Amino acid sequence: MTLKKRPAIGVEVAPVGESTLLAAKTIAAHVEGFLGLPSALLPGLPPPEFALDPGRLQYDAGRLIEGYEAWDPGACGKRVCVLAVDLFVPIFSHVLGEARLGGKVALVSLNRLGPAVDGRIARADQILLRAVKVAFHELGHLFALTHCADPGCLMHFAGDARGLDGIPMRFCRYCGRFLTEAARPGPQAVPDGRV
Amino acid sequence: MSLRLRIMIVDDERIVRESFRHWFAKTGHAVATAASGTEALDQLENEAYDLLFVDIKMPGMSGLELLDRVRADFPDTTVVIITAYGSIESAVRAMKAGASDYLLKPFQPEQLNLVMEKIDQQRRLASQYHYLKGALEQITRFDDIIGRSAPMQRIFALIPEVAASDAAVLLTGETGTGKELVAKAIHAKSRRAHFPFVPINCGAMPESLLESELFGHQKGAFTGAQQARKGFLEVAEGGTLFLDEVGEISTRMQVDLLRVLEDRKVVRLGSRQAVTVDFRLVSATSRDLGRQMAEGRFREDFYYRINVIQIEIPPLRQRKEDIPLLVAHFMEKLGHRTTKQVDRVSEKALALLASYDWPGNVRELENAVERAVVLARSRTLGRADFAFLQAGAPFPAGDATLQQMEAAHIAAVLSRCDGNVSQAARVLGINRVTLHKKINRLGLRAAPAEKTPDHDAEKEARHWRGGGPGR
Repeated sequence: MTLKKRPAIGVEVAPVGESTLLAAKTIAAHVEGFLGLPSALLPGLPPPEFALDPGRLQYDAGRLIEGYEAWDPGACGKRVCVLAVDLFVPIFSHVLGEARLGGKVALVSLNRLGPAVDGRIARADQILLRAVKVAFHELGHLFALTHCADPGCLMHFAGDARGLDGIPMRFCRYCGRFLTEAARPGPQAVPDGRV
Repeated sequence: MSLRLRIMIVDDERIVRESFRHWFAKTGHAVATAASGTEALDQLENEAYDLLFVDIKMPGMSGLELLDRVRADFPDTTVVIITAYGSIESAVRAMKAGASDYLLKPFQPEQLNLVMEKIDQQRRLASQYHYLKGALEQITRFDDIIGRSAPMQRIFALIPEVAASDAAVLLTGETGTGKELVAKAIHAKSRRAHFPFVPINCGAMPESLLESELFGHQKGAFTGAQQARKGFLEVAEGGTLFLDEVGEISTRMQVDLLRVLEDRKVVRLGSRQAVTVDFRLVSATSRDLGRQMAEGRFREDFYYRINVIQIEIPPLRQRKEDIPLLVAHFMEKLGHRTTKQVDRVSEKALALLASYDWPGNVRELENAVERAVVLARSRTLGRADFAFLQAGAPFPAGDATLQQMEAAHIAAVLSRCDGNVSQAARVLGINRVTLHKKINRLGLRAAPAEKTPDHDAEKEARHWRGGGPGR
């Protein structure tokens, strides 16, 4: 019996609609460059209309997660869907992103990342950085990380763009370690003579 | 770091409950849900919750009614009211009724975060308050001695007065009434508090051993004395010597002790050199020393030497108003030792405890509470959890012999203790070896008991029946 290193869990980044393609590419690049996890762009996800709530004129994040989980469930480990629409969960007025603890699909909404908090229009790079922060936060939940009390950690909760800007682009040492271990499971025992 | 809370979401809309559940799972809190006020109260009966999110509009019991019930019956639980139909009137009413906060659905994610931060701070303060209150009580209630009954209040008043002097104290009272705790309190309040408190159970060892333990011995004083050893009379130097079951000391040893008390000098066995000692003597007995004196089994001069101040500790049956307080104290004490969350006792259970005679006194009550907590299936102890108190064997009626009475009483105590000999020995106030001897002599044997319907295998007890003496 020998020990074989397991491959890291891969992340699919799926742009929903053409306007989110750049953000999706940026997130995918950061997943590889920052987290060191394999990533791939996944085009062709159905538009989010099936989750539109006519009363609130917003999109139900819970229904979207269920819908995108069921769509072409390939071998890939985790999936981050990037949308331009405004998302909500029943108890909140809106959410910037959504994921279930230990789930497979995370959502990132660009809808509320654009407006600048001081009245000026945010720069494109600023919006993309916010999108990456939301994606990493939600990805953390997919790897079973809970909210972190450290305001200098990406797993710290932020409810709006101003909150996101206050969080640096890093995980604290505990969350970082937890994420690394969760995304790269330990070695796997393989019978001798087999690769 | 924020506290991990047990949270319950009470809302008739499943989607809201699920939404809260997913959110709080991501914050690391433990979440349960209830679809109605009645369901929430049922869950609260079985498990303690730190925080409730309650919707106002629900079929059946409304959120505000539930808030009133929770404030009355579970005051440690914080309640946050949530509603989709907010009005100033309902907000004012909720806050007046004791809600911690009031949220309008749907709320900003940041709002919920702020509410949770506020509750976290409130609970930290509450936890500090409870800790400090407990520490203060420890100082004012003489550690584990608890009671608000008149006889106990008299004892509390007496302890500091007695502690201020060096006079010998004799504590009388039935076994399990807490004589040692009173002795410790006297020591703790005295100027000797920083020196040792040395307790000796005179009834637990044979005379020769007790003599050697009390007086100490020189090397070679007797077979097996391989090195010199200080006796307890020397070990207690500067502190308090507590002689428990002083009535068990032989008259010969009473003479030796009397000399020590008068001369304040000890001579170790096998030595001729006297060592000066300074200790305060507190003795205790569950026997009638006056009667023992009349029968010539206790020396009068020794009696008056150890009985400068006498404090009688009342049996539990004479201070039944203390039972709820004692039960609450034992449950709190057990709460620190076990992971079980049992923190309430029903009125019916308290009534049962008050109707019982408690031959083993406070010690027996503590054992009963511990047993009930260990086997409890919910956070509230009910009458059924103390059913074993009624399961004792009936006493022989009429002109039963002393031996028959002894056999019946031992059998009853053994049954109550589920056949646990060590526990029964503690209740009976004798040591385990003596109890084993009595069980053999009286021919008591264990027989499997019937299972009670609500507590089957766990509560399987053994019934003890007399098989006739002389076996």
